[in-house]
Formats: sequence, structure tokens, C-alpha cells
Amino acid sequence: MVSLADLFGYAFLVPLLMVLSFVIVGLAGTRLKRFEWGGWLAVGFAGAALVVGVLIAAAELMDPSRYTNVQFTWFHLPAAPGVFPNGFSLVAGTLVDPISALMLLVVTVVGFLVMLYSIGYMHHDHGLPRYYAELSLFLAAMSGLVIANNLFEFFLFWELVGVCSYFLIGFYYEKPSASSAAKEAFLVTRVGDVMFLLGIFIYFYYYATTGPSGGWAANGFVFVRGTTPFLAGAMGGQSTVLTVAGIMILGGAAGKSAQFPLHVWLPDAMEGPTTVSALIHAATMVAAGVYLLAVTSLFIGFTSTDQLAIVAVGGFTTFFAATMAVVHPDIKRVIAYSTISQLGYMVLAVGAGFAMVGLFHLFTHAFFKALLFLAAGSVIHAVGTQDLFKMGGLRKSMRVTAAAFAIGGLALAGIPPFAGFWSKDDVLSAVYSQLPSHPAYWPFFVLAVAAVFLTAYYIFRAWFLAFSGDKPRDPTLPHAHEGPWVMQVPLVVLSAFAVGAGLFIFWPNFQGLLLHGAGAAGIPPVYGPADLALSATSVFLGVAGIGLAWALWGHGKVFVLADSSPVQPLRRLLLNRYYFKVGFDWIGAKGVYTVARAADFVDRFVIDGTVHGFERMFAELSDRLRRIQTGVVSDYAAYVVAGLIAVFVLLLFVAPYLVAKFGGG
Amino acid sequence: MTLPILSLTILTLLVGTVATFLAGSRARWVALATSAVFLGEIALIFLGFSGWPGYNGALVPGFSESESYVWIHLSWMRINYTVGVDGISLVLILLTGILQVATVIYSWGESKRPAAYFGLLLLTCLGSFGVFVALDILLFFLFWEAVLVPMFFLIGFWGGPQRRYAALKFFIYTHVASIVMLVGLLALVFYSGSSSFDFSSVYAGARSLSAVPQTFLFLALFFGFGVKFPMVPFHTWLPDAHVEAPTGGSVLLAGLLLKLGGYGLIRWAVEVLPSGLHTAQPILFFVAFLSIVWGSVLSLSQRDLKRLVAYSSINHMGIVLLAIALDSSLGLIAAVLLMFAHGIVSGLLFMSSGSVHHTFGSRDIASIGGITPTTPALSTLIMTGSLASLGLPALISFPAEFTALLATWNGLSYWVFLPLAILVVTAAFYLWMMQRLLFGTPRGIPAGAHDIPWYEGAGMGILVAFTVLFGILPGLLVNVIVSSPIHGWPGP
Repeated sequence: MVSLADLFGYAFLVPLLMVLSFVIVGLAGTRLKRFEWGGWLAVGFAGAALVVGVLIAAAELMDPSRYTNVQFTWFHLPAAPGVFPNGFSLVAGTLVDPISALMLLVVTVVGFLVMLYSIGYMHHDHGLPRYYAELSLFLAAMSGLVIANNLFEFFLFWELVGVCSYFLIGFYYEKPSASSAAKEAFLVTRVGDVMFLLGIFIYFYYYATTGPSGGWAANGFVFVRGTTPFLAGAMGGQSTVLTVAGIMILGGAAGKSAQFPLHVWLPDAMEGPTTVSALIHAATMVAAGVYLLAVTSLFIGFTSTDQLAIVAVGGFTTFFAATMAVVHPDIKRVIAYSTISQLGYMVLAVGAGFAMVGLFHLFTHAFFKALLFLAAGSVIHAVGTQDLFKMGGLRKSMRVTAAAFAIGGLALAGIPPFAGFWSKDDVLSAVYSQLPSHPAYWPFFVLAVAAVFLTAYYIFRAWFLAFSGDKPRDPTLPHAHEGPWVMQVPLVVLSAFAVGAGLFIFWPNFQGLLLHGAGAAGIPPVYGPADLALSATSVFLGVAGIGLAWALWGHGKVFVLADSSPVQPLRRLLLNRYYFKVGFDWIGAKGVYTVARAADFVDRFVIDGTVHGFERMFAELSDRLRRIQTGVVSDYAAYVVAGLIAVFVLLLFVAPYLVAKFGGG
Repeated sequence: MTLPILSLTILTLLVGTVATFLAGSRARWVALATSAVFLGEIALIFLGFSGWPGYNGALVPGFSESESYVWIHLSWMRINYTVGVDGISLVLILLTGILQVATVIYSWGESKRPAAYFGLLLLTCLGSFGVFVALDILLFFLFWEAVLVPMFFLIGFWGGPQRRYAALKFFIYTHVASIVMLVGLLALVFYSGSSSFDFSSVYAGARSLSAVPQTFLFLALFFGFGVKFPMVPFHTWLPDAHVEAPTGGSVLLAGLLLKLGGYGLIRWAVEVLPSGLHTAQPILFFVAFLSIVWGSVLSLSQRDLKRLVAYSSINHMGIVLLAIALDSSLGLIAAVLLMFAHGIVSGLLFMSSGSVHHTFGSRDIASIGGITPTTPALSTLIMTGSLASLGLPALISFPAEFTALLATWNGLSYWVFLPLAILVVTAAFYLWMMQRLLFGTPRGIPAGAHDIPWYEGAGMGILVAFTVLFGILPGLLVNVIVSSPIHGWPGP
């Protein structure tokens, strides 16, 4: 009898299918006269990957206690004196366990829907073979990362995810702003990547020296889930170098997941097509950072200093990003800031020791965030602008989109029973449960709770601006209409998830999935509204935020701040993103480039100048030496004799002295 | 005694070179045929490679497929013709073969005295092959110098407007370094009390020397090999030579000549003079860090694409030096991997710079840009090369850099942060270059510019194929390298 679980060894099919899609669509696509077929081919591959992903998730849900590891050795170095007493092995493989099955489900579902939506959304664009090929590679890299069974392989896919987002953010490469945003995204995440690398080195080194003897040599440094985190056991959970390693991992995650202070790239990444934004924000790029933190916390473990740092970064980011979303006029950027803020909640939960709660929020967030982006894409597709202040009244002509955006907004604002409520509430109550033993978490908890209000406000501000009122504020906008069915179907499916994904938590099998994901690591997941008062507070804040948005922007109103208003400087500060971008540009572009120019000057004129100085000196010298070439034979004979004497002195006296002095063997 | 495959290969290359010089208009076909035979012979060398532990029974301990014949016999000194390969040289021989065939195909359209051009290309490869297999000091030096001459003519005759200056600068720098190296090598023989110039006898004698003479010898050899690397501050010949050299010359210059320095340092200094390395380590670290930082920062300020790639070579070879200086087996493996990776990737980048020059008549990043719609294939290749060079996984540089930095962490702990931070700068200058040259609105593109001819694409395609192959399966190379008995490595 063939059971579903036999599929576990075939998880590699997901990335493989998408790589095939990359190669076939990328190569064959340019040969097609009409490219439509190429797009559908990519959708077909994504559909096949979806089937595998869903089957694996289903099998894992049936029996959450199993995990399956399949691997081969990449390269192996035996033990050597001074380096790795237990040898050194790098392996590649796939690990299917509750966590990776959950993530694989998210990646394949969102990936497939975005791919389908693209058929309609990208219809008029040029360079479609490139688009679908890169999108396929993006999904391949992300699904590979999700099922990677060790940190080295994880890092490999991590970088591929980064480079794919570089390609896709810069898809409209003829636009200078797009290629600039792509470069910025790559460079800022690269800062995180090198920190991540150092973290890997430290973990490798410690595993190799303190790990199970022979374990490394035989199997590599493979994730073993459902047991005590490795380093917590080995090092008692406290050590300076491990704290450094944890901070480095946090740095890597902060780069990828756009956490403070490496958040600058994400809003600019809006230069890519909206479909790409949906994918980056929901299921791929930014999810990777949170996933890394979760995996590290479950498998390796963080020291308590690390945990505080993670809580601080996550908690602060929730509020910090939300403030910037409050004033922004661009519909995509508002959603972008909301992503940064929501990722903050996930990071916060992982830092407080509840990795599975963070992943649960990642799970629900993936659906409602993809929904919000695709709905926004639908609006942009219809009216051709991203400026909220030009829109208005779109509710009438775009009923499906308006409803979808509203559902996504309610989920984001944390209004029950929508998906976001359950997971956000879990995050807050998880952190709340740690406050008695970790009073240092208090300020970050308060910031995270305050951010709930801002979240509800800014997302409904966007909704009212776009959809309420009678007609667009800018009369030159084209008459809006819904997109084709390929764009509407994903909206409907994602709406269903945005309503229902949170209710999964009441399904025992799903609970089992989260439980077994955390394993025996002593990290109990928190289910449902543990603390009713806290839940009530957060719902109240959400409703209040929506109410404020309605009061200020409802019915097509536009709330204009007087120029003389005392909050104008604050508004400017927020619109300018706290001048972070300016500062980064100043350091990165101006500062480093000036240093480079100065170095170039030194290279040309000091180093080469010295060389040319020698050259002139030798020219001068040879000019003088030429004068001893007298042409008189007896002069030459004298030189020869002098030279011979010098050689003899060297050989007879100096050389033996040196040999005697220094031994010579 | 089986087939003397190494001597046969040298003979093949020699005959091929002479035939190419004489072949006139058909020179490229002769060069291609020679390259094909050369690749076949490399395959034979790999097949016959006894690896670990077969070296025990070999004629020269530690080396496979070795041959040794008396060449010059004096009463107090024997100079032999001795050749052999171990894992390190084998990997670099493979690099030589790949670069030779790729360069010959890439240069298919060369019209300026093609016979001499292809002949000199082959001669360069012959010399490099000789350096990698020679196990006798005189033989080694002979091949070493044999590389210098064809490169001098390649730069000086086929080069750009400043070719005379660049060729002379290249020759003087490397020649002065060669002399110091030769003095070092001869002193090595005499101090070690060896009765022959053979590697094995020098090795046996020199390792037992005390620390002081070892250090002096090591420093002399380090200077000699280091200029070839090139190490900062003796690097300024490299950008000038590259900018002026024809594309084929640049590829071999970066791909092979720089590797001669790295190989020489490992073979004739690091392996032979362990105490010398130990004492000189701080100097090597300093020079390595300096080269890493200097090369990367300088790349950022370059406007000439070729000059940018040249400075990035200084950065990458700095990491090679760092890995060698670590004095650990892991570092040595990383160094050899890195040399191979850099040879392939810099070859790809120099070829694409050459193609940019052929297509647009200039390599000035600041004045031409947005070339992707005009030349999509060339753009893709430039992008592949740049991403490989900045260390993208699944491409060859990544496993090499990863191993090198891991070894650096093991050896120097937090100092590793310096090369790690420089990785960001390396990414920055490549991305910035791509942004200006490939993306944005087209500018400075001459009318009638069209995508690269097939042979340039094929030449680069070969390098891309190996970049991906060994990027995904670095174990193929690692398994060869670790079969060398270096640093007490017990073998697989």
C-alpha cells in the first residue's frame, strides 16, 4: 500500500519542477511567436509543484510526528590535525518535517496564484519569457531553501532567492529607478548575508569541535528537529561567541526580512511589477529571514542576550514601520510598510522563544498580504496610477477587488474572525506570557500593541481613499474595470484563505503540526486567545484605528493637514522615512565612492609615481654609468679583476660566516 | 613504465605551437586541433592519476605519473628533467586546458597576423603547463621564463595605444621578481645541501633547516612569486598590462599567469619551508588583507571595464594569499579552489570586456550604457560573470570563497570580518557596473552595433558551462585536491 508519506523523499520535485520551468520557459520562450503559451507553461509547472506541495502538507498533517531526511554528500574532508578533529562534510538534502511542510504549502500556493494572476496582469509587458523564467527560478530557490536540511544549503538557496529578487525588482531595467532599487535591495541584504556567513562559520566550528564525534564526518551538520536545540545542550546556552553567532544570524534575517535598520530596501523594491511584490512580501524573499530565525532557534538555539536583541529589533520594527505607512500616498508603499511591520511581529515571537507562533503568523500573513498586493495590482492595472489621492470611488466599478482589499485589510487589522486576528493575537499573548520573567521585553511589547492601532488606521485609510466616494479625484483616470478571470480567481481564493486560514488553529492536526514543529525543545506553542483581556484590547485598538480612518477619510473625504500645523515636521519626517534612505545613500554612495576615488589617486600617483621615480633615477644612473664605458681595454680588465675579487670575498668569507652563524641545516 | 603522458603532452604542445606559427591562414584550425588533443591528454592524465595512496610507489614521492631523466650531471650536482603531478597541479592543468580551448575559440576572428597570435597563445599555455608539472628547479625556471616572452609580445604587438609602456612595465616587474625568485631557489638548493635540483631532494633537505634561513629563503621566494600574484604595492603593472593587452592575452594573463605565482608559492615555498611560512605569516596576512581591501576599493572607482576586472583580480588573489598564509590544509584546499575559480571567472569577464570593446568601440562604463536591448547575449554573459565573481552560489567562486573564509575563521577568528565586509564592496562595484553598463536608457551606442559573433559566444559559453558545473559539484575538484599529501593531510 502506497501511502502519502512516501512522497516525503520526493520533496525535491518542487524546486526541480520550477528549475525545469526556468530552463524551458527561459530558453524556448524567446523562440515562440506569441508568448502566451510560455506563460501558461510556467503556470503548468507551478501547478504541478502546487500538487506536490499540497500532498506533502496533507501527509504531514495526517501524521505530524514524522520527519524525513534524504541527502547525499557534497564533499567530504577527513579529519586533519588542527582543523576539524571530526572531519568536515558538506551535504545536500531535503528535510520534510512539520515546519518545512507548512512553509512549502505557503510557497507553492501563493506562487501558483501569483503566476496565474500574472497571465492577466503582465499581458501587455515586454520581456515575458524573462519574467516567467525568473519567477520560476525565484520559486525554485525559495522552495529549495524551505526544504534544505542544513545551514550551508540553506545559505546557498538564500543567496539565490536574493539574486532572483534582484532580477525581478529590476525587471523594468530601462527605468533608472528600477535598476537602482534592485541594486539597493541586493546590497542591503548583502550586508545581512555576510553576517549570516560569519554565523555559519561559528556554528560549524563549534559543531565540529564539540559535536558528536563522527557525526559531522558521517552526516554533515544536518538539522535535527524535534530535539533539544543543539548548542543549548552543548554549551549550556551561554557563551560570548555563540551570542555573537546569534546576533550574526539576526543580522542576516534582518537584511532579508527588512527589519530595522536594514529595512530601507523593501519600500524601494516596489519598482518591480506588483506581482513580484506580492511574491516577495508574502511567500518568498522576506519570509526567508523569519524562517531562518525560526529554524535557528529550534535547531541550534539562541542565548538569552540574542533573544533580547531579536525581541528588540522585532518589537521596534512593528511600530517604526507602521508610522511610515500612516502618511504615504502610494498604495503599494503603504502595503510595503505594513509588511515590514508584520514581519516585526514574527521576529518578535521567535525572539520571545515561540518560533512556531511566529511561523503561524507567517502562514496567515502570506495569504492576506498576497491578497492585498494582488488587489492593489488590480487597481493599478485598472487606473494606471499608484497615487491614492488620484483614486476614489472605485468600489462601484471594481466590486471583487474592493471586497478582496477589504477582507485583506480586516485580516491585517486583526479583526476576528479573519486570519490575522488569530495569529497576531497568538504573538501578543506569547510575548505577554514572557513578560514576568523578562521585564526587559516590556517596551517592545507595548510598541507592538500600539502598532495594532496604526495598522488598522493606515490600511483602511488606503481603502477609503481608493474605493469610497463617488468618483476618482483625478478626472483624467481611465474608466476602471475588473481584470480578466485569471486575475479574479486568485483574489477569490486568497480571500477565502484570508478569512479562514486562522481557523486552522482549531484543527487538532494543525495544532499537532505546530507542536511537533517545536518538538521537545521546551517551546510550547500558544493556541488561541490565551488572555481574553489582551485580545479584547487588541481588537479594540483595531476597531478604533478603522474608526479613525473612517472619520478622516470615509465617504471620499480628504483630510488635509494645514501647512501651519505643528505636526507638519513630523509628517515630513515620516514621508522622508526618517531620512534613513538619505543617510544610507550618503554613506554608501558618496562616502565610499570618495574613499575609492582617493585610493585611485594614491594608486596612480603615489605607488606608480614612486615606480616612475625609480625609473627616472635609473635612467639618470645609467646615463652616468655609460661614461665608464671608455672603450679602453685596460679599464675593462680592471673592472673584471675588481669584480672577481668581490666574488671571492663573498664566497670565501661572507658565505661561510653566514652558514656558521645561521646553521644551514 | 606506462605511457610518459606528461612528456607527451609537452611534446604535443610544442609541436602544436610550432605548427601554428607555420600554418599561416590556417593557424586557428591547428591551434584548435592542438587544444583538442591537449584536452584529451588532460583526460588521460586524470585517468592515470593514482591519487592517494598510490603515490607511495611513485618515482617521485607524492607525485603521480612522474618521470625523471638525468639532464646535466656534474660531480657535485645533478640537474634532472623531472615532471609529475599531484592534486594541486592537476586542478591547475585542467584550468590551463579549459582556458586554452576557450581562448582559441574566442579569438577565432583575429585577423592581425593570426599565425603568430595563436602561436603565442599556445606558447603561453605550454609554459604554464610546464610550470605546473616541473619538479626540477631549472626546468621550472625555464618554463616560468618561457611564459614571460609570449605575453610580452602579445601585449606589445596586439595591444592598445599604450602597449609599449604596458609591455615593458609588465616585463620589468615580472623579470625583477623572477631574478629574486631564482636567487631564492638557488639558495634553497645550496642551503638545503641537496645534491640535485629535484623537488623531492630539496624538500627533504630544506624542511630540516632551522627557522632563520627558512625565513630568509621564504621571504625571497614570497617576493618573487608575490609580484606575479600580484600583491599590493607591487601590483600596478597588472591594470596597465590588462588594459593594453588583447583579449586573449588578458584571459591568459589573469587566468594562468597569476596562478603561476600562487602555484609557485605553494609548491616551492609553503610546502618546502614550513617554519619560514610560520615566521613570515604576519607579513603575508598584512599583504593579503591590504590586497583584498585595495583591489576591491579601487575597482569601485574605475571607469574602464577591463581595469575594473583587473583590480577585482587583485582582490581575489588577495583572498588566495590569505588562504595560503593560514597554513592549514583547509586553507590550502580553498586557495587552489579559488585559483581555479578565479581563472575561469576572470577569463569570462575579460572576454566580455573584450566583446564590449569590439561591439561598442569603447569600454568606458561612464559613457556607454543600457546595452541590454542591443546585445542581450553579451549582457547575459556579463551578468553571469559578475554574479559568479561576487560569489553567487551554484557558481564556482562560491564554494571556493566559502571554504576560504571558513578556514580564515578557523585560523584568525574575528579577523574574518575584514574580508567578509569587503564582500559587500565587491558586490557593490559589480552591481554598480551592471546598473550603468547594462541597464537604464541606452546611450553611447554606435549605429549598427549588433550582438557578439558566434565564436565569442562559444568561447564564453565554455567558461560558463564549467562555472556552473563546478559550482554545483565542487566535490569533483575537492576530491582531486585532497589527494595531495599536504600539511599532514591523511588522504581521503
